[in-house]
Amino acid sequence: MTLPDPSAFSLDINDPEDAELIQYFISVLPERVESIVAAFTNDDFDSLKRVAHQLKGAAPGFGFPTIGAEAGKLEQQLRSTGDPSEQIETLRSQVESLVSLCNSYINPS
Amino acid sequence: MSESLIHSDSGSSPTVLLIDDSQFVHRLLDARLRDESIELRSAADGRRGVELAREDPPALILLDLDMPVMDGFEALRELKDDPRTRDIPVIVLSGLNSSQDKVAAFDLGAVDFVTKPFELTELRARVRSSLRMYALLQMLAQKAQIDGLSELYNRQYFDTSLKGECERSMRHGQALSIAMIDIDHFKSINDTYGHPAGDSVISGVAKMITKQCRSIDTACRYGGEEFAIILPETGPVQAVQLCERIRVACEQLRWSRHPSRTVTVSIGIVGIGAGEGFSATPEAWVEAADRNLYSAKQAGRNRVKGTGIDGNTIDLAQAG
Repeated sequence: MTLPDPSAFSLDINDPEDAELIQYFISVLPERVESIVAAFTNDDFDSLKRVAHQLKGAAPGFGFPTIGAEAGKLEQQLRSTGDPSEQIETLRSQVESLVSLCNSYINPS
Repeated sequence: MSESLIHSDSGSSPTVLLIDDSQFVHRLLDARLRDESIELRSAADGRRGVELAREDPPALILLDLDMPVMDGFEALRELKDDPRTRDIPVIVLSGLNSSQDKVAAFDLGAVDFVTKPFELTELRARVRSSLRMYALLQMLAQKAQIDGLSELYNRQYFDTSLKGECERSMRHGQALSIAMIDIDHFKSINDTYGHPAGDSVISGVAKMITKQCRSIDTACRYGGEEFAIILPETGPVQAVQLCERIRVACEQLRWSRHPSRTVTVSIGIVGIGAGEGFSATPEAWVEAADRNLYSAKQAGRNRVKGTGIDGNTIDLAQAG
């Protein structure tokens, strides 16, 4: 696996321990993206909130603050909305930007 | 029993239990706390975490709030309700920076609150600080159970411990013995050589007791010149043998300042064999042992008198 531009991370990619964490995060990210897509597709907003919540808390620690911030926005939207199905377009655009951000790390161009 | 009852646990590193449903957090803390001298254990939900904490209480718990099965608040409540886990410090980890959650967590007994994403250096510092506090509290708790002069357990610890052992013996039909030990003519030692000499006799006899006791025994200073030993899973015959060794050790002890003066002890023992199923209150056990101590004194001191709790005398020939 090739890693994207080192400056994209808030951790030091040249430090073995940091590099290990970055690699780990990227390796499990596809699975999370799948869960996000599946939860959104199935209107399973509780699961969506849970994955977003976990990403928000963990991503910055692995060197991915942008993913953390994007996941945080999604979580916030889900928490502030009484009935998420009424906000489906807002949620869709947030899910899409989170997923494409994650994909940019999974498949660096 | 070790020479000193106060041990720092320096041999093994403290256990930290991480309760969080996110694999990410386990992976991250596992890497980031690797250089701390701790052993990190994990649970993925509150229920499992509380179970693990009860089975083998850790020195610190890192607890996530938002979890399936049992959330962090519920887990915290259960931890604080259980005497086995009540005193373990808990640092709450939360993805929500909400004052309401913080207040609720502190009210439930959390010692600290860390918001995710964590600042790792800060988390490490907080972990260290909580572990340090816990070690000091444990040392204090242990010191509060120990008699300063003899370094044996104190009377209060004896009372609590005896109650537990009596109940256990009754419930499971296990053998149990207790011994009351009194230094002979202690008043005359004090009057003749002064109180500092009396103190060194107390600490010297305590050392002889400690030396003969096994790790399962609880040796205490009962008061003044009187000591007590709880001998779990030990019938009266075996207890008499052990106490006879204490009696001989004291008699043979030579006091550097007063080599000609011999210090002896009298010992009263009462016990029950395994499966004999006798029920008696802790007070009754102590009274019975005291009666035997009294007859040992009456019979000329420097001797061991033991009976079953039912009153059958154990003689040394039989014990021998």
